[in-house]
Amino acid sequence: MKSPVPILLLTLGLAATTQAAFGVVLPGAHAVADAPLAGKVLDENGAGLPGVTVRVKGGTTGTVTDNQGAFSLPDVPTSATLLISYVGYKAQEVRADRTGSITVRLVPDRGELNEVVVVGYGTQQRRNLIGSVVKVDPTDTKELPVGSFDAQLQGKVSGVQISSNTGVPGSAVNVRVRGATTINGSNTPLYVVDGVFINNNSLQTISTGGKATSPIADLNPSDIESVEVLKDADATALYGSRGANGVIIVTTRRGNFNQKPKISLNVSQGWAKAAELWELATGPEHATLVNENWLNTTGPTPRTFENRPYRPVSEGGRGLPEQQPTFDRLSQVFRTARLQNYDVSVAGGNSASRYYIGGGFTKQESILQPIDFQRASFKVNLDQQLSDKVQIGVSNSFSRTYRNEGRAGDGPAGGLLQAALHTPTLLSPYDANGQLVGRASFDNVELLLKNYDVNSTSLRYIGNLYGDIQLLPTLKFRTSFGVDYNSYDEKEYWNTLLIAGAGVGGLATSSASQYASLLNENTLTYRQQFGRHTVGVIVGNGLQGDTFYRTYAQGTGFPNNSFKEISAASVTSSIGNAGTTGNASSIGNRSAYRLASFFGRADYNFDGRYLFNVSFRTDGSSRFGRANQWGYFPSVGAAWRLKEEGFLRDVTVLSELKLRASYGVTGNQNGIGNFAARGLWNGGANYQDNAGIAPQQLANDNLKWEQTSQANVGLDLAFFDNRLGVEFNAYSKYTKNGLIQLTQPATTGFSSYWANGVEISNKGLEFALNTVNIRRPDFSWNSGFNVATNVNNIEKLNTPAQFGSRNLILQQQGHPLYSFWLYKQLYVDPQTGNAVYDDVDKDGKITAADRQIVDSIWPKFFGGLTNTITYKGFDASVLIAFQYGNKVYNHNRFFGEGGGARDEARVIFASNLARWQKPGDVTDVPRPDGINVNNYLDGGSRWLEDGSFVRLRNVSLGYTLPETLTRRVLGGTVRVYAQGSNLVLLTKYTGLDPESAASSDANQQGIDLGTPPQPRSFQVGVNATF
Amino acid sequence: MPFRQRALLLRRPAPVSFFSRAYLRSIAPFLVMALIMGLSACTSYLDVSPTESIADNQTIVDQKSASTAVNGVYSALSNSGYYGTSFQSIGYLGSGDIQWTGTQSQVQEFITHNVRADNATISTVWSSIYVTINRANHVLAKVPGVADPLLTQARRDQYLGEAYFLRALAYFDLARTFGGVPLITQPTLKATDNQGIARATQAETYAQVLRDLDAAEPLLPNPATVQPTDRYRATRKTVWALKARLYLYQGNWAQAESYATRLVADNANYQLLAPFNSFFANNVRGTAESVFEIFYNGTTEPNTHRGNWQPTSNGGTRQWAPNAGLVSVLTTAPNNTPNGRSTLIAAVGGTTWYGNLYYRNPGSDPSYVFRIAELYLIRAEARAQQNNLAGALADLNAVRTRAGLANSPATTQPDILLAIENERRLEFALEPHRWFDLARTGRATAVFKDPLNNAAPLPAFRLLLPVPISQLQVDAALKQNPGY
Repeated sequence: MKSPVPILLLTLGLAATTQAAFGVVLPGAHAVADAPLAGKVLDENGAGLPGVTVRVKGGTTGTVTDNQGAFSLPDVPTSATLLISYVGYKAQEVRADRTGSITVRLVPDRGELNEVVVVGYGTQQRRNLIGSVVKVDPTDTKELPVGSFDAQLQGKVSGVQISSNTGVPGSAVNVRVRGATTINGSNTPLYVVDGVFINNNSLQTISTGGKATSPIADLNPSDIESVEVLKDADATALYGSRGANGVIIVTTRRGNFNQKPKISLNVSQGWAKAAELWELATGPEHATLVNENWLNTTGPTPRTFENRPYRPVSEGGRGLPEQQPTFDRLSQVFRTARLQNYDVSVAGGNSASRYYIGGGFTKQESILQPIDFQRASFKVNLDQQLSDKVQIGVSNSFSRTYRNEGRAGDGPAGGLLQAALHTPTLLSPYDANGQLVGRASFDNVELLLKNYDVNSTSLRYIGNLYGDIQLLPTLKFRTSFGVDYNSYDEKEYWNTLLIAGAGVGGLATSSASQYASLLNENTLTYRQQFGRHTVGVIVGNGLQGDTFYRTYAQGTGFPNNSFKEISAASVTSSIGNAGTTGNASSIGNRSAYRLASFFGRADYNFDGRYLFNVSFRTDGSSRFGRANQWGYFPSVGAAWRLKEEGFLRDVTVLSELKLRASYGVTGNQNGIGNFAARGLWNGGANYQDNAGIAPQQLANDNLKWEQTSQANVGLDLAFFDNRLGVEFNAYSKYTKNGLIQLTQPATTGFSSYWANGVEISNKGLEFALNTVNIRRPDFSWNSGFNVATNVNNIEKLNTPAQFGSRNLILQQQGHPLYSFWLYKQLYVDPQTGNAVYDDVDKDGKITAADRQIVDSIWPKFFGGLTNTITYKGFDASVLIAFQYGNKVYNHNRFFGEGGGARDEARVIFASNLARWQKPGDVTDVPRPDGINVNNYLDGGSRWLEDGSFVRLRNVSLGYTLPETLTRRVLGGTVRVYAQGSNLVLLTKYTGLDPESAASSDANQQGIDLGTPPQPRSFQVGVNATF
Repeated sequence: MPFRQRALLLRRPAPVSFFSRAYLRSIAPFLVMALIMGLSACTSYLDVSPTESIADNQTIVDQKSASTAVNGVYSALSNSGYYGTSFQSIGYLGSGDIQWTGTQSQVQEFITHNVRADNATISTVWSSIYVTINRANHVLAKVPGVADPLLTQARRDQYLGEAYFLRALAYFDLARTFGGVPLITQPTLKATDNQGIARATQAETYAQVLRDLDAAEPLLPNPATVQPTDRYRATRKTVWALKARLYLYQGNWAQAESYATRLVADNANYQLLAPFNSFFANNVRGTAESVFEIFYNGTTEPNTHRGNWQPTSNGGTRQWAPNAGLVSVLTTAPNNTPNGRSTLIAAVGGTTWYGNLYYRNPGSDPSYVFRIAELYLIRAEARAQQNNLAGALADLNAVRTRAGLANSPATTQPDILLAIENERRLEFALEPHRWFDLARTGRATAVFKDPLNNAAPLPAFRLLLPVPISQLQVDAALKQNPGY
């Protein structure tokens, strides 16, 4: 066997001089010639199959079929055999029959190895993959009522951790491909939809308490054909600058050539409800604890039994504990939510054109009133062959997403769960005059629900226009223009009955944001087979420009509560104190950045046994300093298919044995400001109604690309005709020059500056097992299981960075990202009832110096289990997602376990009743002694809980009506189905949902506050195809 | 257009051979587009400039930019982290007269005198004050070099004088809160500047305050007639007020009296307005009571203070409120005079008391830094310390008379000093004084209890607050105050 390397170099050289080379290689057959031969290749439906390779066995003559599947060869020996092959179909050999034109019908090869996988700027057969790429079938979970397709994939992809941090549909989702690589940069993967790099950062301005909307929810999951997740450097390097966090490629549905119009309908209705709600202390229990705290503490006046707060009214008290009422606000804000979904699509095509037209509408209520999510979408994908060499096409997604929003996170004004959950149960919603009134500095629940008026409308267009030119049979040029346009309009109105509007005569905010991304990419693809050698080369360039505008205005002082638009306000511009936004003035924002890229990849395949990949990308970004704008991202990969070696070829029990290895460097610049490298002064530092300017940001001329190098080794194994498949990957990622807003000593006058100041490692193992348990014509059962582990560590960070409420999260060298920084409570002394904390510095006092890192949000392992079964007309699928070993800070419980010290300012959770009361009590809830004195320290580890869970994410059951019946009556097929989500959640976590987080900010993960859980839902629906 | 024709007819396209004219014609538009895109990829493509901000090397270049940069320093002073709320709250939350009615335990820590190094308020205050200092340092470093005919000597002096004064106030506030701090007198121009600098002593920090005040004094105008706008910005008279207070804190009684007298004697410009609430009620600002108050317009320059005091029915959160003891004192004789000190507080439904010094909506209440009443009380204390008891009583009683109260019955020096302390408690009930007063005199250890042991007095180390632990984590040169 010859060494493949010189051949690779040779063919690269050939590619440079294509004309000359192919003049010789292709038509130059010198075999014994006879008359020309013509024929046609058809697919399983009898439609012409374009692009099929037809070659003469043992010779060099070959061609590909045209749009109609027709081919003709000029000179074919009479005795020749034709080899006919096409990706995804079983290859066939056909005798060159001279008696007429040949018609060949190809049979699809359903085998796993022939599956076509979308990779960067092209497709590959699974058997030829070097990189770690997971193709996800979104079908079973398409109906999950979560808004965005990424949230539907939880548990389906090994090594990809997906957490819905709230039960509100259409909210941002944390998606992490193989851990997290950066602190202040973005850790979310790159989303590529039909070749367009789409924005996945929320444009939301109006605060919903730390939550963000998901821009991915603008896509209708029904229009999605397939989702590919690119994980290792070999797979992502072609996306270079943006590949460090993995790439999610979404391919939307298209029609087929020569396909009769196929109409699909899908209608479903459903209901969702919280599986459980928090357990709160009753009024008498609350009063008892307040009294107990009173006696345990001292104040400006001596505290005695006689002057305890809850003593008889006759003694000047608030009444005895047992006389206190209990009010249930939780059941007021939670509801049984309605879910509805309607999709219709038509797909088809003739010999030269194909189309897909889809329309959808979904409305998903949140279980937390008054929040809901509505999306109307419209999809048009067209492809047209202008000639047998030129094809053009467009992909268009239009959508309008409307959200009734609510503050389902932190913050008092307008906070739904603050009002319903954090208001003490013993406080009446009515004042002495019988008027509804907010309590404990929170809004009144009923007033809130009646007067809530916060909404947003997202108009999104994602489009791509491409032209493909087959310059030569082996050389294709593609140019494509992509657009991601998002107009995001938000409004809020707080009338005078609500805290935010009270006292200011009503408050209205309007914010209009526009995001536009324009992209042009040009690629030249060359692929050629020389005997047992296959060579592919792709080179390309890309230019992308993003612009962002925002106009924001506030008005206060409305004539009355019927006026809601800013035009009626007596004071425009904004106020700083009562607003929920924290923005201090009317704002106009304008920002832009640009990216220029050049990239290339060469792959070489010898005999289907040895596979090599080399790729390189360079990106220039306007975000970095002049000297550092360009980043260089190379990768190499190789695979060895042992199965194709002589010693294994005949081992029939083994269907696949492949070793893969890759190494590469990818980059990241997402998450940083467009002008992060520059020293900036801003306006707006006004005084006395005069303009003022002030330093805003320190310059860092050296700011450069964050770079993640990743090594991956993998093993693919399959047995028994691919009925048992195993994929194993081990990876090691190391991020250097990590982008961070490096904490600055305050003496500089700055809190931080953008720097390449962190190094982070992620190491992990991934395992996936797919089995075909039963494969019979009328009965099939497939299972999938995946599990992954990732170990994250901050390798270098000179100054620790604090995040989250009460600085609960600390990013510190030598610890994983998102570690909790707490006072570690060891136990409660049974004799005194006092909490005993770990005195780290052994000075006999518990001070801030005793706070330490106690665990992190990372699970030790996570994964999922899927089962799909079909039996005759019935089908069923089950998806279980699990994770183990992650920690959650139960911040709700922190507030709810104040031991009575917060008196009537906060609710008390039922869990607080387990407090120490007398010597000998063994409990972990200490004696009430005030807040932050000793026993109830802010940041105590008592509220850090195990967040491990097993979740029955999805169960669906379907029945397809007998075709004999439906074909005759309706002319199509009809399937009815029922689906349930989150039916079971097994966890030790005492909150409602271990995935909940108060904030969508990645650096504040794992802090659960004021967040509705992911609901249990049940849906029924009908699919019909005509 | 051959394209359109083909697209519409959807008929089977004729096979086109490579390099034929038809083929070249069909690909020509793509090639042209690709060429255009390729050409545009020159280096200027990656040159994008911000429009919301300006580069930091072209900031203070002429008179206009110098004046706006000075406004930026005042803006930092007015920020919610400084005089806008947080710094002020340290002064009154620790008075013993305020109760915690919210849920943020960082507030409770001041009230119980159990401030921990991870308290969020001290972290905000430390940072906000250094932001002010850095802005002042930029003005001081750059304005002298500006060549602009419009930047007259008078204007140049005024800008520099204001920056010196504001820096002096900033260091004064740091020193009385935390003790000595790192002394930063040059602007931060690059990321490595102004860090790793050890804390000066409290005395050295006060010496820096005095140097800045001495520098500011001759530069600033000394208006014969003080306009309201002169009460929103530093003048030479404002320098005197801070000097009076600085000397009082240092126990330099003669100097304190001397500087206080310069303002107390200036009756044309500064008066104790009666009734008591004349300086804040009815949306007034810049009254003759005021020596220096911070201006807020409520919209683009909001004072966030009110939100913490006002009840929800007024759009606030009432994070803190006057406690029963203070309510009782203010609502009973002799303090319950019409428009007297009792108007500092108000009640919802007659029972839920809240502070009402910051009441305007939207928040345009001034933050008071120096009122003439304070200068009277500074002089009273300085005189009493120098055994000029009659003089002390005269100043004390001037303040009492204005509040509608009878003269003080105190006669001995200790009694008069105590009477002054008590007068300050009520005169500045919702202003940031009492904690700092009790801390500077050390009386806090007698007045308050150890938060961890109610039988013991407040330990002396607690008179200084801890340096924020977040700062200790990022700057190894910083050392924590003892006891924390």
